[in-house]
Amino acid sequence: MPTKMNNAMKLFARQIAKGILACTAFTVFWGQALAVHLGEITDQEQVTVTGTVRSESEPLAGVSVSSTSDSGSGVSTDSEGTYRIAVSDNDTLVFSFVGYAQQRVPVNGRGRIDVVLVPRDQQLDEIVVVGYGTQKKANLTGAISTIQADQIQTTTHSSLAQKLQGKVPGLQIRQNTGGPGDFDAMINIRGFGSPLYVIDGIVRDGGNEFQRLNPDDIESISVLKDASAAVYGVNAANGVIIVTTKKGSQGKTQFQYNVVVGVQSPTDMPEIANAAQWMEMRNDAAVNAGLAPYISKEELEKYQQGMPGYESTNWYDETMKPWAGQQQHTLSAQGGSEKVRYFSSFGFLNDNGLLKSDAINYDRYTFRTNLTADLTNNLSATVELAGRYDRKDGAGYSIFDIIRGTISALPTNKPYLNGNPDYPTHITDGQSSNPVAISDPDISGYTQDVNKQFQSAVTLTYKVPFVDGLQLKGVASYDGNNYLNKSLTKSYKLYSYDAAADVYNAATLRHPTVLGNGYSDMNRISLQAQAIYNTLLSDRHNIGATLVYEERNGWTRSSGLSREFQFFTNDQIDMGDQNNQRTSGMESQWGNRSVIGRFTYDYLGKYLMEIAARYDGSYRYHPDRRWGLFPVVSAGWRVSEESFFKDGVPFVSNLKLRGSYGLVGQDAGNPFQYVPGFSTSGGGGYEFSNGSYVSGVAAPGIVNERLTWFQSRIADIGVDLGLFDGRLNMEFDMYQRDRTGLLAIRNVSLPNTFGGTLPEENLNSDRVRGLEFAFGFSRAIGEFRFDIGGNFNFARTMNVYVERGPFVNSMDRWRNGQANRWSDVVWMYDKIGQFQSEEELLNSPIQNGELGNSREMIGDFKYRDANGDGVIDGNDTLPLAWGGNPKMFYGLTFSANWRGFDFNMLWQGSGKYSVRFTHAYAEMFWGDGNLPAYFYDRWHLADPYDPNSEWIPGEWPAIRRISDIGAMYNESSVWRRDASYLRLKSLELGYSLPVGYIKRIGLEGVRVYANGYNLLTITDPFVKAFDPEQIEGALNTGWVYPLSRSYNFGINLTF
Amino acid sequence: MKSTILKIAFVTIVLAGGCKNVLDLRPLDKLESETIFGSPEGTRIYLANLYGQLPIEDFSFGRLGFNTANENTGGIAPATQTDEAANSEFSHLLDGGGNFQWWDPGYKLIRDINLLLETIPTVTTMSEADKAELISEGHFLRAYTYFALAKRYGGVPLIVQVQQYTPDVESLKVPRNTEKETWDFVLAECDAAIENLPASRTSDNRRATKWVAYALKSRVALHAASLAKYWSKAPLSGPAVSQQLVGIDPSEADRYYQICIEASRKIMDESPFELYKPTPSSPEEAAANYMEMFQNPNSATSEVIFIKGYTNPGSSGHSYDFWFNPNQTSEGSPHPGRMNPTLEFVDSYESYSNPGQSSPIVTTTDGNVSDYNGYNPSKNYLRFDTPYDIFKDKDARLWATVILPGTEWKGKTIVIQGGYIQPDGTAKIETKESIQVNGRTYYTYGAADWTGYSGFEVYLGNMTRTGFSFKKFLSPNPVPPNLTYSTTDWIEFRYAEILLNYAEAVVESNYTANDAQAVAKGALNSIRKRAGHTVDIDLTLENVLRERKVELAFENKRYWDLVRRREFHEKFNNTIRKALVPVLDLRVSPAKYIFVRKNVSRENPLTFPTNFYYAHIPGVGANGLIQNPQY
Repeated sequence: MPTKMNNAMKLFARQIAKGILACTAFTVFWGQALAVHLGEITDQEQVTVTGTVRSESEPLAGVSVSSTSDSGSGVSTDSEGTYRIAVSDNDTLVFSFVGYAQQRVPVNGRGRIDVVLVPRDQQLDEIVVVGYGTQKKANLTGAISTIQADQIQTTTHSSLAQKLQGKVPGLQIRQNTGGPGDFDAMINIRGFGSPLYVIDGIVRDGGNEFQRLNPDDIESISVLKDASAAVYGVNAANGVIIVTTKKGSQGKTQFQYNVVVGVQSPTDMPEIANAAQWMEMRNDAAVNAGLAPYISKEELEKYQQGMPGYESTNWYDETMKPWAGQQQHTLSAQGGSEKVRYFSSFGFLNDNGLLKSDAINYDRYTFRTNLTADLTNNLSATVELAGRYDRKDGAGYSIFDIIRGTISALPTNKPYLNGNPDYPTHITDGQSSNPVAISDPDISGYTQDVNKQFQSAVTLTYKVPFVDGLQLKGVASYDGNNYLNKSLTKSYKLYSYDAAADVYNAATLRHPTVLGNGYSDMNRISLQAQAIYNTLLSDRHNIGATLVYEERNGWTRSSGLSREFQFFTNDQIDMGDQNNQRTSGMESQWGNRSVIGRFTYDYLGKYLMEIAARYDGSYRYHPDRRWGLFPVVSAGWRVSEESFFKDGVPFVSNLKLRGSYGLVGQDAGNPFQYVPGFSTSGGGGYEFSNGSYVSGVAAPGIVNERLTWFQSRIADIGVDLGLFDGRLNMEFDMYQRDRTGLLAIRNVSLPNTFGGTLPEENLNSDRVRGLEFAFGFSRAIGEFRFDIGGNFNFARTMNVYVERGPFVNSMDRWRNGQANRWSDVVWMYDKIGQFQSEEELLNSPIQNGELGNSREMIGDFKYRDANGDGVIDGNDTLPLAWGGNPKMFYGLTFSANWRGFDFNMLWQGSGKYSVRFTHAYAEMFWGDGNLPAYFYDRWHLADPYDPNSEWIPGEWPAIRRISDIGAMYNESSVWRRDASYLRLKSLELGYSLPVGYIKRIGLEGVRVYANGYNLLTITDPFVKAFDPEQIEGALNTGWVYPLSRSYNFGINLTF
Repeated sequence: MKSTILKIAFVTIVLAGGCKNVLDLRPLDKLESETIFGSPEGTRIYLANLYGQLPIEDFSFGRLGFNTANENTGGIAPATQTDEAANSEFSHLLDGGGNFQWWDPGYKLIRDINLLLETIPTVTTMSEADKAELISEGHFLRAYTYFALAKRYGGVPLIVQVQQYTPDVESLKVPRNTEKETWDFVLAECDAAIENLPASRTSDNRRATKWVAYALKSRVALHAASLAKYWSKAPLSGPAVSQQLVGIDPSEADRYYQICIEASRKIMDESPFELYKPTPSSPEEAAANYMEMFQNPNSATSEVIFIKGYTNPGSSGHSYDFWFNPNQTSEGSPHPGRMNPTLEFVDSYESYSNPGQSSPIVTTTDGNVSDYNGYNPSKNYLRFDTPYDIFKDKDARLWATVILPGTEWKGKTIVIQGGYIQPDGTAKIETKESIQVNGRTYYTYGAADWTGYSGFEVYLGNMTRTGFSFKKFLSPNPVPPNLTYSTTDWIEFRYAEILLNYAEAVVESNYTANDAQAVAKGALNSIRKRAGHTVDIDLTLENVLRERKVELAFENKRYWDLVRRREFHEKFNNTIRKALVPVLDLRVSPAKYIFVRKNVSRENPLTFPTNFYYAHIPGVGANGLIQNPQY
């Protein structure tokens, strides 16, 4: 490498004869790129270049070699790693190979060019995007992970979050629900909470927006996981995710068309009882309550045999399709001349919902153009423009209602009366509505959410002449988002059939029809001025300094309007009734101003040090207390650079010890809490004369002028280790975050006759502690090359100080104390078995209060009398389970390639959490509706028509209605299940066609691939049916859009 | 040159931000004090907030508190906590801790009112007359608020200033006043209100007037007087009693009765109010007049002293039509039929042929009205052609308050039937069956499908359990079956209540001045006359209380009547409320209706412990107050 670089330098010097090189040659790449620019000026001559391509240890076969000016002329290396290509002498060769960093080498008239490719994830020279700048990976002192485009793309999903899941150490992601266009995945760095998102240097919107980015536009993503986030000040306490989009590079225009199409279906759905099972269990419920069987034996047999009129309805199948389609397309072009470089893309994504009515659908269109132009020798400009239009369609009822219907509606009911689609059945089983009817937009209406987003930034970079290493930069950015919502809540009719009179009786639901439109317009302006200085003193002292002034502000206006229709005609507001119209609207504004400074120093790349700070001002707080200073200091020692180490431990190629400590902030509570004004919100109103309603204003509460942000102190120590020439790399981090100033209301025992409540104050504190481990191993055996990577993160949160009144007694302290305890712990009864006999029932502690054990039956759950007082009540609950947030996340990647084939497999898992369902999924006959089929394996009488027949044991207790139940549904390990899982998240097999073939049809590269998502899950069998990753949703019902498994086929075309 | 221009542009961009301070922002939804109190118009929007919080026990008041029209109350109305009605799904009385608990919101409102009373005198931009009127209005609001606290908690801390927060919380603690002091304070506040409130208002006619304040005073004084007289019927003990924080000496009773008499008499003698349509020509007309007054109080301005208005369906309406229509006219509401008037309530109405006493529904030839054991085949049941003939002679107000089986409501015949007696004599009651008799199919609940009837089946708790459904206050017009879509206005004070307060106070205190006995008897009979009665009855306590019960039924007075007269623990002592089950008798042809008096199905026996007469005071650990007895 140094040789080539020197050659480039000489050529450069000879042709220009000016010594302005130093300031541009930060990296090999830069030097080479500049040489290319200059090369183009000279005359062109054809030369034949040969050479060998090697990894650090061995020759690489199948490496694609092409030139930037004639991309169609590419060749591949043979099994010895050698290649031969004819190009013009001022051309630049591009060496690409899966898993390795692409290299561009200018020919400069040479006949032989040997190249050593560096595996991507092992490049210590890799440039990592950090806050307000970049750094060499080797010199990082903070805990920062990065992921590159090709690693993101190995998973196919409409959400960017799902494409990252399991791949980045410390980046905790849980999908939550699977609805098209939902984008509600939990994204959380190291268990800290929702991070701050920065796209191309500008702080932008949150996780929901992030998940909607077109992944084809992304160059890399950096995750700031420790106090290195302090350069973002307030709101960076949960870490920062920095997205860098693709920029063009000089050369002939290269088009890329990526398409992937696939089908998706739920990973699993709990099976629901069929008509015969329901009738059998309903019989049980009657008999077990001491009543006559629900239906006669003859009738039951008809259900069991499925006689005409006695068929079972599977409501899920009636409502939902077995699979739904998805597709993504991106067409991009990139390239550039000496002066102007560009990347431009257009993307389309469609994600179809599972409803048979097709009411659920998501479409997304994106575009991006990133343009860089050298305006003068010292001044360059970058213009970044991106836009998105997306639209999410939904049914007139929430998925909550629809899913509830598919579970809870009785299998003995039918979607339509007498099979006549004009008469959808009116059912209220399990307090649900007919899911087929309410999911149909023609019957019950629809919702539609449209976002039109525009993001832009202009950057001017000025290299100050005469001061080596000094750059000035100005950035101006404007972002806008238009949100349009429309919802039609239709009144509709459902029917019941009076067979005697042969009459269909209509019931009108949701009268009147309401049509609503909502609008909101968001604007954001960011301005930055930066001064960046880098210099090397005495060939040993590497000094860098950055100073940034930043100002951001934004404003939002939203309004909503609706009208009713006594008789619905058209879904247009003007067609609605004049009476009872409703409108609403509000504006809000915000602003921040900051100064950021950073100083980096290293000595011979061995001793590394960084000090940075942000002085941040926020509009939210009292003018006297709105400015805060957020400093961070970090240091590293590259032990492996020491000569004693190099000689002593040759198999260790990299050993770095690093540590960081800093202070970061997080906004607390609503803005303007220091202003004691009368408020138009929160005040009741009154009708002072008939028809004239006066909206009241509420008196000001007690104001806390001192309210301020949470303060987070984040400490991290880490070790980076590279072994065997970088083939095995490991990173290990331990971290702790202490937050103080969490909001709580002071417990000063204010008498409740005071009439006001105290405002929130910065009182509570907590601590997150965690550890993180990542490794990567790569090896090539002949033409076969593989990589194994893994990561693991375990983090828990502890409440440190919790404001509260004194404990009444030690039991109170034990049961209700929170301070210095892990949060997210669930107290529940310890299930110790099932009652096996009447005698055991009578002799066991009383577990159902005043009712004793009178409602318990053989087969019911028996709980531990923890305090031994003979009564099982709230005092017997124990902290037995983790709650619903996973504490442990891990991922394991295996990728390999051989000749044109590539293979990628990702296993991902979470642990240390539980799920708990209620309502229809975890109750027998909830609301007198249907119940899950798993209950069928139950304690029951051999013959329900013979009360003296013997009991048949089963996994579940004897079936009863809610009114006859004892303590069966108490929180215990029966219902709250450990949801730890390991799943085959994605599997991809690709094949790149040999360059020789595709050249003939005018293409530069063709890769076809097939992949699957969520293919296999290993978890508790009870949980598996619900999908362990899925959240329980509102009221813990589990009535959420199911997560999906998908199979996809894709093509990447380069031309 | 070009680069110079760019440099200038660059510097401009950097400096542009400095022109405007992006941190100097103000919230867009907050107002300054001067904006609010600078004028009567500004003060009006503050008053809207105070009136909005006023503890008016109206359609939106219930188990979950005030203004809960948009909450899932389960249709548990104040009436279903009394002997007036049962809830079709839930069967319980409120406990002492949650006994219409209203402590924290009460003191919040008092703080808000005190802010008004303190601020108005300091305003310089308002006329003295405007100020005086607003201050009297503040006293009215404060009287109303402390009344709500006193009737729940007994003696409470009387806080008349806005307390300023200090970390020295001890200095903020105010001890309880005695119950007597509290009632006297409320009455004094009424007087302060009467002082400068106008006698009438042309605009904003739903704000307090002098007559509204008198009406409040009448109600407050009667409550205090009853407590003094009857406290010892359910005596309590403990520190709160010994310090007189609860309980009033019986010797105070006559003083309070006299205050009630005088305040009521002031309205009777000097105000423009009178009974609405006082002389109907027939019971049918009386029923129509009575219904009309509650379906639209604005048509009855002669009687209505104070209205709380409801408007804007979907936001500031209430939910009576949602919860209380019978199942057949639910119009899609998922939870109709929740209010089930009880048989003992229906029994209390007089019949025209037997004036001066309650007239229980007789169902058997032996006339026994105290057998609630259900259908007894050995008894001789009276047979009727229709499900409502049995009520024919009853007071018009029963027909206007309750949907009787088989009567019309909103264009439908409301089917309330609990079973049939098969031709072979087998009774099928409160079970879903059907039978063919002479080629015709009969159903136990009166129709084949649940949409065709409104009673007795256990169907989502939507069917009446008592045999009666409810219609007072319900709109005769279609109302969207959603929460907060009802806009019927609420009558908080009406002339008939004043007459009944007066009559009760006179008869209880045996007051004779100003011809009180004759005036009271006249008042009692004028209300009965308006209900279609033609025979005057005597002024007796029994007559006055019965008249009060039926005239003011479901106006959320009954709960407090039972409390102040200490009758609750007697009415609810392991008590199951009663139902009247219409049963089709198929033993005769054509089939006839018989009726079974019985306990309400699925109803637990209910008991009102005497300590519930005072609610549990929340937060005594922090406010340092003495707790009410037996909590």
